[in-house]
Amino acid sequence: MKKRVIAFLMSAMLIAGVTGCGAPAQAAAGAASTETAAAVGTGAAEATAAPAAEGEKVLRTAASFAYPSLDVHKEYYGWYTSIYGISEALFKMNENSEAVPCLAKDAVADGNTWTVTLNDGVTFSNGNPLTADMVVRNLKRAAEENSRFAYLSDFTIEAVDDKTITITTPEIYPTMKNDLATPELGMMDLDSTTDFDNAPVCTGPFVIDTFIPEGDVTVKKNDNYWGGDVKLDGAIFYYMQEDDPKLLAMQSGEIDCYNSVSSAALEVYNADPAQYNVVSIPGARLQFYILNENRLDDAVREAINLTVDKDKIAEYLSGTVSPAVGPFSTNTAYGQVTVPPVDTDKAKELLEADGYKLGADGIYEKDGEKLSIDIAYYAARSLDTLALLIQEQLAAIGVDSTLSVYEDPDSTYIATGDFDLALYCSIADKSGDPLYFIDSTLSDGGYYDCGGFDDDHCQELIDQLRYEIDPAKRADLANEIVQIAIDDNAYGYVGLFNHTTVLRNGVSGFAENLPFDFYGVSAETDIQ
Amino acid sequence: MIKKIAGKIIGLIVILLILSFFVFLLLYLAPGDPAEKRLTSQGIVITKEVLQAEQERLGLLKPFFVRYGEWLLGVIRGDFGLSFKDDRPVAAKLAAGLQNTCILAMASLVFSLLISYPLALLSAMRKDRIADHIIKVFSFIGNSLPNFLISVLLMYFFCIKLNLFPVIADGSLKGLFLPMLSLSIPMISRFTRQMRSEMILQLSEDYVTGMRLRGVKERYIAVNIIRNSLGHVITIIGLQIGTLMAGSVVIETIFRWPGIGKLVMDSITSRDYPVIMGFVLVMGTIYVVINRLTDLCYHLLDPRVRT
Repeated sequence: MKKRVIAFLMSAMLIAGVTGCGAPAQAAAGAASTETAAAVGTGAAEATAAPAAEGEKVLRTAASFAYPSLDVHKEYYGWYTSIYGISEALFKMNENSEAVPCLAKDAVADGNTWTVTLNDGVTFSNGNPLTADMVVRNLKRAAEENSRFAYLSDFTIEAVDDKTITITTPEIYPTMKNDLATPELGMMDLDSTTDFDNAPVCTGPFVIDTFIPEGDVTVKKNDNYWGGDVKLDGAIFYYMQEDDPKLLAMQSGEIDCYNSVSSAALEVYNADPAQYNVVSIPGARLQFYILNENRLDDAVREAINLTVDKDKIAEYLSGTVSPAVGPFSTNTAYGQVTVPPVDTDKAKELLEADGYKLGADGIYEKDGEKLSIDIAYYAARSLDTLALLIQEQLAAIGVDSTLSVYEDPDSTYIATGDFDLALYCSIADKSGDPLYFIDSTLSDGGYYDCGGFDDDHCQELIDQLRYEIDPAKRADLANEIVQIAIDDNAYGYVGLFNHTTVLRNGVSGFAENLPFDFYGVSAETDIQ
Repeated sequence: MIKKIAGKIIGLIVILLILSFFVFLLLYLAPGDPAEKRLTSQGIVITKEVLQAEQERLGLLKPFFVRYGEWLLGVIRGDFGLSFKDDRPVAAKLAAGLQNTCILAMASLVFSLLISYPLALLSAMRKDRIADHIIKVFSFIGNSLPNFLISVLLMYFFCIKLNLFPVIADGSLKGLFLPMLSLSIPMISRFTRQMRSEMILQLSEDYVTGMRLRGVKERYIAVNIIRNSLGHVITIIGLQIGTLMAGSVVIETIFRWPGIGKLVMDSITSRDYPVIMGFVLVMGTIYVVINRLTDLCYHLLDPRVRT
């Protein structure tokens, strides 16, 4: 009997021992809250945002990502403080991917020096004015805290007076306004902020109410907003990674809007226009492929580009992508390029003129060798589906292909150039200027210059683009550069991911018309 | 006795050392760069100089043995290091995740046992009769359904159709119910089948035949069967706890439950080596300790094992 009692106790220990390990952590999490009313914790009991008070106009939305900090300058956290409506940068991007005034009213270049003038009456949520000196300190802090902005430390940034800042660069720097529109360069009151991770003091239309690291976030109206009246009383961002719960939460009326809608959910929303408003515009995220010029001759590359049918691919991906012409949206001035239409007969003619003969198995061959290409891809952003569709389309004209899937493209096929056709997905237009993407793909030594593309005239134009200030001339240069690569069949630009937002009818102003991922609620966001 | 315990502890340390070394080696050999993952998480391309500076900052350019040695020394000092993803202490991240997973796992385990034990007994006592067939069919279905499907179906019925629970659950007991049920349904099915087999085995034992011949009532026979099948149940629990602790990632993601499974999946995706290594150590320890406790329970419950 005694043994049985001991056995029972051991069994109880087995269960209690494991359950018990939670208690202290929960207590600790429960105790964690800041003096600035930012409730911080990670325990299950605190994993959900506080509900809105009765009668308040509070927007409820789902966020696919959640981050551990609200420090605007670190990592990509500024994207989220911008989405939450907490932080603002000196400029902001509009529907046409142009940097327009926000905290600054103007930025003028004179040689290597940019003069930035602040808007009148800009204040932080605590009422303190945004001064030129504070802007300088913010930019310097961003350079220290974020390695992607370390280049700012090469610039001489000075406050001329209370409203004017000069930024002197070692060389002419045409994209300054666009850089100053990136959300990581949002402004914080560095003197008043005591907890950068949980309660930054910023200039946005909302201030943090509760913040759960890597969890839900609640914001409330900034009563001191410098930009005028804020229509909402607050907003709740529920951290929801999965598509199905978002759809169910929308159906049950627990959320009012969200973006990055899946194709399955789109069907449901489109079927009920009386209740849901779906807004879909081509975004900045591009699916493209690199054709290896060191391995594939001109005719084969051209035949591939004439065969890959972007419209059919976009149709198959059911509304999640729009067919791309070039790397940038055709809504932009620098997205005006042309590509030949799909023509599989011409593709076959090209191959035959190049000496390929159709084999008995329906695959072209030359000198006894089958025409087979290696398609390298990674299974994210629908690239796996894309690889299969391209394989199928190529097989239809007699080009065989093998699929090679990699876990990490950057350290494998992008680094080694070991591919015939490499699929990739990245943001092509990060802040309304073409240089970033052109420089990383088409410039000599660029990050994605791994397919052997080399054109002296193109490089000359890229060098001109680096120093050209005039936006219209920049667009012309960009179009010419991209067209050279298209004509050389060095790349294939397949699709631009749509920026798709679903809103319950009556909800508006949730950045649904902006092609960028880093905008969300604003002073104009409203619920009727 | 002290010698025995010391032996077990040394055994545990050796197992953890071997485990940690091989996991560290696998992570080292696996493709993917945490610095790159961190810098390009939003699809922004970075320059080679920026990448190299970040690799240097995270210590990724050091040789394998130096990195492993530094990590091991840190662990010995009680410092699991900082997450590569966000520079937060690994220990705090693991503690928070583990706490939530423990709550979910144990609630599911207790709930599953409460349901499956009587079902298994009923099924065994009514073998090949209608109740047994119904239970077998349901346990077959429950065992076959994938977790994500069960979760979404439960969410649809309970939250949309019946409107009993919110889709966006809070951290309350009500919020725990659906994830617990999702995790429990396959477990109840598995437990019921396993326990039923054990109980049928017990029913064929001589002591049961003897009791029946003596005219002992069925409920007393059932009590004896429950008692004698306890050892088997403990083994099942021991095996299941490990799976529950590490394997509820789908449920945690769908129901927004901030547990350790989800944390580790995110860490693997972002190549957050310090968190993965911390997880391996913690889970390794839990597995070994639970196995030892299971052995001990089994030893005490079953006299045949002692002899």
